[in-house]
Amino acid sequence: MTCAEVRRVLPEILDGGPEGVFPAEFETHVKSCPACSDLISDLKLISSEARQLAANEEPAPRVWVRIAAELRAEGLIREPAVFDPPREPESAPNRSILFPTSPRRRWSAWWLVPVAAALLVAGSYVVSHKQAPQMAKQQAPATPLTTPAPVASAATSPSVSASAPSAAPTSAPASALSSAPQQLARKSAKRTDVVASAAKPAVEPEPSAEDQQFLSVVSTRAPSMRATYESQLKAVNAHIREVQAYLERNPGDAEARQHLMDAYQQKALLYQIALDRIQ
Amino acid sequence: MPAAGAAFFMARLQRTNLQKTRVHLASIHLASIQDTMVVTLVLATCLSAAAFAESKKEYRYTVGPHANISVDTQYGAISVEPGSSDEVVVTATLKSGNVEVDEQQNGNRIEIASHLLRGLDQEAGQVDYELLIPPDATLNLRSSTGPLSVERLQGDLTLEGADAVVNVRNVGNGHVHVRTMRGPITLTDVRNGHVEIASISGDVHMTSVDGPLVQVNLGSGRIYYDGNFGSGGNYRFTTHTGDIEALAPANVSAGFRAHSVLGRVQHDFPLQPRHSRYTVEAGRSFVGTAGEAASEVVLRSFSGRIRLKQR
Repeated sequence: MTCAEVRRVLPEILDGGPEGVFPAEFETHVKSCPACSDLISDLKLISSEARQLAANEEPAPRVWVRIAAELRAEGLIREPAVFDPPREPESAPNRSILFPTSPRRRWSAWWLVPVAAALLVAGSYVVSHKQAPQMAKQQAPATPLTTPAPVASAATSPSVSASAPSAAPTSAPASALSSAPQQLARKSAKRTDVVASAAKPAVEPEPSAEDQQFLSVVSTRAPSMRATYESQLKAVNAHIREVQAYLERNPGDAEARQHLMDAYQQKALLYQIALDRIQ
Repeated sequence: MPAAGAAFFMARLQRTNLQKTRVHLASIHLASIQDTMVVTLVLATCLSAAAFAESKKEYRYTVGPHANISVDTQYGAISVEPGSSDEVVVTATLKSGNVEVDEQQNGNRIEIASHLLRGLDQEAGQVDYELLIPPDATLNLRSSTGPLSVERLQGDLTLEGADAVVNVRNVGNGHVHVRTMRGPITLTDVRNGHVEIASISGDVHMTSVDGPLVQVNLGSGRIYYDGNFGSGGNYRFTTHTGDIEALAPANVSAGFRAHSVLGRVQHDFPLQPRHSRYTVEAGRSFVGTAGEAASEVVLRSFSGRIRLKQR
């Protein structure tokens, strides 16, 4: 018995047979097919919950008519003549069958949209958040070179505050730094920052709530792939932290800002691939 | 005489015993042969059962121009080549009896999907597909493990996979969209394509790829390009930690901009300087044009090395 055949006979079996007694081949398939067993347990739950509804909570018949009409218009309800097997007795009640138009696993991908959107929004926020002080500084008078760099928040990049030198260069734009010695000083200081951050291993922060949820979902669907996705997620998060740390020191670097956006897009891509593929 | 008779009797008895022993040994030998045969038969039955577990199914569909074909399998290879202009032939090789192929045709649209039952691992749940499709068809392929292989088509292609190795060869005049998690991607002889590639850690290798848009966005993968950057195209290669290496002929016509935030950048073209809103930092970036700058080439890496070399 295939999934399609199970779906075909499911309404009759659930409605007609006594509780818990099913044909043997039906049972065999359901035991081996998670999609069908999930579908049946969902239907059973809905059915049992519906039976507990009090009679006075029953909506007016016109409500059911409207719902049926809308479902029929969306193609979610089809007449039994189309799907019923030929062996079905003619005395079977002529009712509509609720039939999923796409495989059940497709639904799980829908929450990708808000997740991906949230990632991109977060990325945009971070980039624009870093750009804002830069714009303000461009309008302000040139800042002396000895101004200490803004201390990075420990929450976002713990390695930055540890590696940033106390006499870090200013974050003023290049246009404000017109003299060659100052530019050289800025460049050499930037290199020092880079070397310092590269030499010191970044502290691995705890995964965010979204990442933990993502990993738990992925491991539920494919436990063997958890390590792979975990390592990929770590790599992408490391990229994000790396650019964030760089931008803390060099907030005016447009290229780095673009790389931060790219890194967030990579993370969104990882979410999409993982949750779309591993079913 | 009695002694001789006794001796004769004893001799016959010994011969009889010897014969009995031989018969007994022969019967043991026969029994062992029979046992061996039984074991062999059982093994052969098991092996043949295993062999029968792998099955092939063929599906044929009649389609019109610009058909839309989708194949979705969790485990398994998908290979696509051009066939008849009005027919799609799908050959599915199922590695076990516990995996199903769901297929349906709605007009010009064909959807094929593998359906795994509970507890199947990668080996048992594998379904390999071979497709012969009209060259102008739009194709969507998805497989976690791959490999995905497409050649000699002219329609739009979308290929997605987590670990899937992706090979696209000799295609053109359409979109080529590829997404992988860590599977390497190879594009060869892609003409006039609208190419968009994204991967977390897969490498990208492109040979003779051109078109109005060729865009690659990687996390830690490396990008290799060997081609002439076409004419009038927009080429944007980005990787976070990977290297970028691009080979082009001396008579290439393109405007170049390359920048690595933390890595080294070098080229051996006699580039003409041009105005850029980006600050050019020796060793970290370069900007310039070659020829009439018909195409625009942007090479970006955060910490990788970028090299533009003459072929």
